[in-house]
Amino acid sequence: MNFSKDSLGLYSDTVFVTANKSERKVKNISVPISMITGKSIVQAGNTRLADVLREQNGITMTSGFGAGVQLQGLNPDYTIILIDGEPLIGRTAGVLDLNRIAVGNIKKIEIVKGPSSSLYGSEAMAGVINIITDKKNTDALSANIRYGSYNTKDGNISISKRVNKLHAQTFYNYYSTDGFSVRPNSNNRFITPIARTTFTQNIQYKFTDKTSIDGSVRYNTENIKSIIAVANNGTTIYSNGNENNNDLNGSIVVNHKFSDKIKTKLNTYYTQFKSKQDLLTVSGNPYNDLFQQNFKRIEDQTEWKINASLNSIIGFGWITENVNSSRYDNIDSAKTNNIQYAFNQWEWNNGKKWVANAGFRFDKNQNFASAFSPKFSLMYKVNTQLRFKLSAGRGFKAPDFRQLYLNFTNAAAGSYSVFGAVEAQKVINRLMDLGQIGNLFSNFYQLKKLEPEYATGIHVSAEWEPNQSNEIQVQFFRNDINNLIDVQQVGNYISGSQIYSYLNIKNAFTTGFEIETKQKFAKGWTSAIGYQFLITGDKDQIASIKSGTVYTKNDNGTSRLLKLSDYVGLPNTSKHRLQAKLNYENTKGFYANIRAIYRSKWAVANTNGNEVFDEGDQFGAGYITLNYSMGKPLKKGWAIQAGIDNINNYMDGLNLPNLAGRTFYMTLKYSTQK
Amino acid sequence: MKKAIWKSLVVVMTSVFLFSCSKSTTTVVAPLSATTVKDLPADTIIGITPQGQPFGTGKFTFYSLEKNTIIANSDSATTKWDLAFNGTKILTNSGNSGSGLGGAFIQIGLFEELKTISSDSVFKTDNGPSSYAVTFGSGRGWYTYDPIKNLVTPLAGRVLVIRTASGKYAKVEIIAYYKGGATLAATAPDAEKISKQRYYTFRYIFQPNGTRNF
Repeated sequence: MNFSKDSLGLYSDTVFVTANKSERKVKNISVPISMITGKSIVQAGNTRLADVLREQNGITMTSGFGAGVQLQGLNPDYTIILIDGEPLIGRTAGVLDLNRIAVGNIKKIEIVKGPSSSLYGSEAMAGVINIITDKKNTDALSANIRYGSYNTKDGNISISKRVNKLHAQTFYNYYSTDGFSVRPNSNNRFITPIARTTFTQNIQYKFTDKTSIDGSVRYNTENIKSIIAVANNGTTIYSNGNENNNDLNGSIVVNHKFSDKIKTKLNTYYTQFKSKQDLLTVSGNPYNDLFQQNFKRIEDQTEWKINASLNSIIGFGWITENVNSSRYDNIDSAKTNNIQYAFNQWEWNNGKKWVANAGFRFDKNQNFASAFSPKFSLMYKVNTQLRFKLSAGRGFKAPDFRQLYLNFTNAAAGSYSVFGAVEAQKVINRLMDLGQIGNLFSNFYQLKKLEPEYATGIHVSAEWEPNQSNEIQVQFFRNDINNLIDVQQVGNYISGSQIYSYLNIKNAFTTGFEIETKQKFAKGWTSAIGYQFLITGDKDQIASIKSGTVYTKNDNGTSRLLKLSDYVGLPNTSKHRLQAKLNYENTKGFYANIRAIYRSKWAVANTNGNEVFDEGDQFGAGYITLNYSMGKPLKKGWAIQAGIDNINNYMDGLNLPNLAGRTFYMTLKYSTQK
Repeated sequence: MKKAIWKSLVVVMTSVFLFSCSKSTTTVVAPLSATTVKDLPADTIIGITPQGQPFGTGKFTFYSLEKNTIIANSDSATTKWDLAFNGTKILTNSGNSGSGLGGAFIQIGLFEELKTISSDSVFKTDNGPSSYAVTFGSGRGWYTYDPIKNLVTPLAGRVLVIRTASGKYAKVEIIAYYKGGATLAATAPDAEKISKQRYYTFRYIFQPNGTRNF
């Protein structure tokens, strides 16, 4: 099959690791996957992971607390982000800011859609995004510098070196921007001045063909300077903010082959995320916020090839997590969670029409209920052009430390308090003794040990490659999410200010379909189109609407019953998403591409006096952005690239704070390799 | 809206029919129509504390549903007023708020559809500051307050069922808490949210004959 390198190549022999936690050929994987090649990232001129994912089918980038990824309508909390198979931590309100990740040294990005907790545990509820870094085993050097609008600078250096049995790769990235503002010369910048530095070092040593060791360290630091407006009961107080986030990841992996049939991988991983926020108000009042999370894991995974068609993976591990935060009761006392887990996966593939895969994982958690995550998938190959996939599984997300331990009172805005579920009853009872509590709601008495949130996902897909120039994939999905943890008001202070805590109370679903097609035309032209149709909803709210107990406001302020047809489902979800890409590349290496992304309206705030999102609420308007880039190799390893992001200069500072206006950029590259 | 017009038309037609066919009937009750009170100030903001808290004079605005008029503060100890407004707090002329026969409760439902106050309804009376007949607090009575957006939104489908100072009945629906009769957009500037808040627009029906029917 001689398909364009950018395409998935449904029947390709390309290796894919994320779906089975072990290397498999794309054509043998029975769950829905997609893959973004390093080359397409380079040709699109993307520099941060958020920019790359924004252009993928079925993925929407959300914009509270940084750029989070929404997969098939599920919040950023529910997608695990891995670098070379190791999870990233450091989420704010559940969101992992994907602007933190530089993409200059990426070989490819693998995406598995649907629950994958059977292999990855917590957070792999909506899917897995695994960034595979380029671990070249040759001597090479490459560097590039880029300059763009808003004084944005980006520079990368990659070095790889081979000395006998030792391979080493170094990567360094520097990125800085002045930010941009819809009103030039105003302090209200959407993207604030940011400087980021990433350093990665990988070393592999092959003792023998059977045994190797792989060490890797990644350090990322970012400084964000901002002028923050805090609205205090209507008065806005400006503060000068300085935010510093650091993440450090280190892993040591030992691979050993006992025989052709049995191999094992012993993996130790440590990661730390540290976030410091200092605010100085105009009147000189300091506000400091500190958050530090440590994650240590040791895991062993053994793969046993029982016979030509049967394969089994068994693994177990131990995780210790510590968090210190100034938003918990005491910054110096670390909150700890220990998890012990084991997983097992069976694959059956006799090289004929059927491929089957079944597995499960069990996580025993210290601070909340245990989780059992099964998964099953099946593929049927009708012929060499057409095949069907069916997969079903259960994923979970553990309650995070914030939901367990938060002890936060917002003195700046109304003096409301939020207490984590572990602390809430204790803290509120103490406040009660002090005579601070005005009244308690019935759900205060329902506060108890939190349970993980669960999603059961079913995916059915058809993949058809009628000829070498066309491929089409259609995928239906349905995710039922139970036990969703929601912040709920549990009482009031004497002063009337609200007290909130966390409860497992909501049940929701997301369902829809995705279509993706790729075409190859004559003379180096290719195109790709992706579309997602998405319906979401809160099951309990739908039941209330059906029973006629949900009201809404008419334009004149009077009330009426809410009709089910007015209901729009979960906030931040868009019904339609479309992207199209047209690419040209000639034999001399010149390329040009134009990419269009469309997202239909999404609910952002509940403004009409009920608890549900309906047509009368506040929406972000549907929009299109167009990106263009082109590049050309020069002589002696040099190359240039130029592009324009957001050509149509679409901006919505309120609902899309991460979307910069029209951005021009130019890149100069040098590489010792072609 | 259309539905409401249609309904009133039906009522009128029915009355005409009744009137023309049965000359023996003694009285025909004219259907009660709703009165809308627009932009009633309720201790509007006069300044901001150094800590950033906006404040008013602290005084209530007293209102007579029966007379459809504001009652002077000097009459606060009398039974001339039925409701008193200060910020999001609404008092009834009852309990420790006043000497009247007042009281209230909040019914979930539609204003138009509340035709009769059921006989087993329990009217609460004021016992400030711990409890009020019109329940005080975000999400508990007639409104929600969003501390991030700093916006008070009346809850949809809430009818304030009121017993007036004289022991008669009324029903009230709060339309808006901001000047102009509409809730401000979440995106409105903070200055506007401060200057336009604490202005009530509401509609009500007062039943002068003392029955629980509207």
